Formats: sequence, C-alpha cells, structure tokens
Amino acid sequence: MNGFLYGVALQWKLDIRSKSLLVTCYIVPLIFFLLMGGIFTSVMPEMGSTLIQSMIVLSVSMGAFIGLPPSLIETYGSDIKKVYKANGVPVCLGLVTMFLSAFAHLTITCVVIMLLAPILFEATLPIQLPFFFLALAIYIIVSLSIGSVLGLTVKNQAKLTMISQLVFLPSIMLSGIMFPIELLPDFLETAGLIFPASWGYRLMLDHGFCFENLWYLIFIFFAAVIVCGIVLKKQKAK
Amino acid sequence: MMNRAIQVRGLKKSYGRNIVLDGLDFEIEKGETFALLGVNGEGKTTALECIEGLRKYDSGTITVNGKMGIQLQSSSLPAHIKPMEAVRLFSKWNKAKLDFTMLNALGIQEIEKKQYIQLSTGQKRRLHLALALIGNPDIIFLDEPTAGLDAPGRVSLHGQIRKLKSQGKTIVLTSHDMTEVENLCDRLAILNNGNIAFCGTATELTDKIGETYFIHIKTQQGNSTFETDTIEDTLISLLNDLKQKEIPILDIKVDRGTLEQHFIEMARRETE
Repeated sequence: MNGFLYGVALQWKLDIRSKSLLVTCYIVPLIFFLLMGGIFTSVMPEMGSTLIQSMIVLSVSMGAFIGLPPSLIETYGSDIKKVYKANGVPVCLGLVTMFLSAFAHLTITCVVIMLLAPILFEATLPIQLPFFFLALAIYIIVSLSIGSVLGLTVKNQAKLTMISQLVFLPSIMLSGIMFPIELLPDFLETAGLIFPASWGYRLMLDHGFCFENLWYLIFIFFAAVIVCGIVLKKQKAK
Repeated sequence: MMNRAIQVRGLKKSYGRNIVLDGLDFEIEKGETFALLGVNGEGKTTALECIEGLRKYDSGTITVNGKMGIQLQSSSLPAHIKPMEAVRLFSKWNKAKLDFTMLNALGIQEIEKKQYIQLSTGQKRRLHLALALIGNPDIIFLDEPTAGLDAPGRVSLHGQIRKLKSQGKTIVLTSHDMTEVENLCDRLAILNNGNIAFCGTATELTDKIGETYFIHIKTQQGNSTFETDTIEDTLISLLNDLKQKEIPILDIKVDRGTLEQHFIEMARRETE
C-alpha cells in the first residue's frame, strides 16, 4: 500500500477513534433523524415523501460544517503540519485524507437514514436512485469543501464553533427541509439560496437533478477548492 | 565542500523590522556533533529551520550535503495516532524500509499500543526522534531534544545521540543544557544579536573567557561561592578571614566555572 492509501486508511481509523467525529457524523444526526422523523411525519404526514432528503441534508450539514473543521484545525492550526512537512509528507495530505474519510462516514450515515426511514416512518424512497446517489455525492462533496474552508481559515476552536453555527443553522432553517421555503419572508427565502443546503436538497428530490439546481453547487465547490489551494500554498511557503 | 555536511554563508532573516539572523556564517563537518546555542529569541530555531528548508530566508546561501532527518522543537501528531502507525505513514511516504533495530533501541515497539495523547513527554521525544531517523538520514537536526525530559529520559536520549554519532552521522542540535552540549558536542556556536558570537570547541570557549575562578566554601553557616580572577590572593584572604572568625571549614572546592556560566558571561559582554 502506498503512502497516500495508507494515509486515507489511517485517517479512517483515527476518525473512528476520535469521539467527536463519532458524535457529529453518527450519533447526533441519527438521534435528530429519529426525533424529527417522528415529529415531522406525525405533524405533516405528507413530509414522508421528502423525509429522507431532509434528514440527509441535516446530517451532511452537521458532519461537514461541525464535524470536519475541528479535525482540520487540529492538524493545520498546530505543529502537526510542521512535523508532516519536516518528514517529507505533503502539507495537503491531512486535508485530502480527512475529506475522503469524512465523505465515507457521511455516506454511511446517509445510507443508514435511507434504510431506516421507510421502516420507521413509512418514508418514500427516491424514485431515481442513481440520480439520487449522484446528487447525494455532490452535496456531500460541496458541504465538505465548505467545511474544509472553515477548518483551514479559522484559526481557533472557539471562533470555529461560532462560525460553524453561522453556516449550519441558516442552512437548516432556510433550505426548506424543516418547512416549505414559500412560507418564509422573501428576503429570508433569498438569503437561503446563499447556502448550498437548499440547492442540495432540491437536487436530491425526485426529478430535481438538473443543471438549474446544480450550477451553484459546482460554483461553490470550485470556489472552495481555490480558497483551500491558496491557504495550503501560503502554509507551505511560510 | 566534500567533507562538509553543511555550509551557511551570509544567512539573513527578519520578521518585519526584527532582524533575527544578520548574516550567519558557519560550516559543519561530516560526522561532527555541532550545537547552536543562544538565549531565548536569539534565532536558534529560525536558523535551524532555514537550514532544514522549513522556513524561507531573506538572503544568503545554505548548502546541505546529505539526507536530512529532522526533530522539531515543538512537535505534535494527531491525538489518536499510535506510534507505529506514524512510523509506517512516514516511512511509506519516504519509501524507506522500517528499521526495527532503531525502533527497538528507541523503545517504540514497547509503546505501540498507546495513542499519541497517552504518551509521556519522553516517549513523544523518542517517537519524534524515530520519525526523524526514518530513511537513515546522514544529517540529523535535534531542536532542544531533551527539553522537558526527566533525568533517566535525558540519559537515554544522550545514549541514542552518542550511538548515532558513532555511526558517523552528522548531528546538529540546539540546547539550553550546557552540560549536555559539553558532553555531546565536538563544536558549538553561540548566537548573539543575529550573529555568531563564538564558534569552536567547548575547551576553546573556556580558554577564551574562562579566566574566572569559582571558590565554593561549605561551613556550618552554609554554602558560599566567591568569584575571582586572582585565585591565590582571594583564597588566602578567605581562609584567613574564616580562621580569624573561628568558623570551621567543612568543604572547599575551586573550579573554573561551567560552560553555561561562560556562555552567560559572553552573552553579557556582547550586549554591553
């Protein structure tokens, strides 16, 4: 196994050992899913058709915005990156391995939600499963890219907690997963479009996989890649 | 350059308006153990990191003749990584075979089940030394290798450094422990005000500024140390004084001071 693959496998193991990722990627999202799934389908039975997408947006946003950035700060805000550099390991390895590992963990959580929702809450499975999975993968990647920007640019954990919440809460409240966005005032409906959650949610809905719902996510992803690239280059050159 | 492991010429580095290195010049021979000394903030770590290629410098030339292994002053690893996992990760990236003899000597396999967060300071130091030795480097940089270690930890690490030296490795270290430097190093350089204030052996340093004698006298009233440049006159005068006062002497020792005292004296003179 080469260095890169070993790094990815090792990060996967480290994430499992780390209790914080276990909490933000598995325990809390699944508890929320059980609680809110019960409430939503009792109060509004018609939400059964979009419950899987809603809960997936919630879980992915939580894992990506709250779960990933602290791990990145642990590496890039400390001497770990210097040790990597001193020992011939590329500076970007931490970011790439954490990104891939978080992608795998979040995918597992989403699959668990997909499998449990129809059994527990009589939720409807997406009709076009291949498009759904593609949309899911795109949404996870875009959310993790935003989480990466947070983890690389915010310098300490206290600030990060606040900033992560500033991204996470509007993503959940304004994306249409809790209640239809038509019920929101116009300015909040527009504000909701800044956050990728609303775009990801629409992309995952049946017949939602189209360029109209995709372009903004692609734009956010490339913007995040550029920011991460610049930050890493700066760190390397320091 | 053939026998030189490192050559530094006119190395300059500033942080904003603060000039840390103001044209450093020195060489280190192959197989030599060399110490870089200086009080805190004199730029030891900056100089080392410039040579290691971890920090950009403003001007000057640095030539390094050999493969480097680096142990940083402040090092860290992910909290939950296990020592052998870190060793494997770094050896795979460097395409180096695992040297179990070296790992055993540093006691890495004894701690393989612990996570990094559970290791003691000494165990962490040993692990970072092991990581620095992956790939069998010719030149090893140790930035304050024994800082924070207890006495057995220091003795053990000194043993490792001596073993590396006997293998012909070039070792460059920084330290605040002058006894360590005297015992381990062939030559030392003292950094002061961004320049090399002294470069030579510990004996040469002592010869250069070590005219001062220290007289340590133990009586029933306690211990006293007297500093003098004229040993004979001061000693006679002290003994007469004690005899007159009828204070019995329990012990008496005369020495020329430690390297640490000389170093502090040199730094003081340079500042003046």
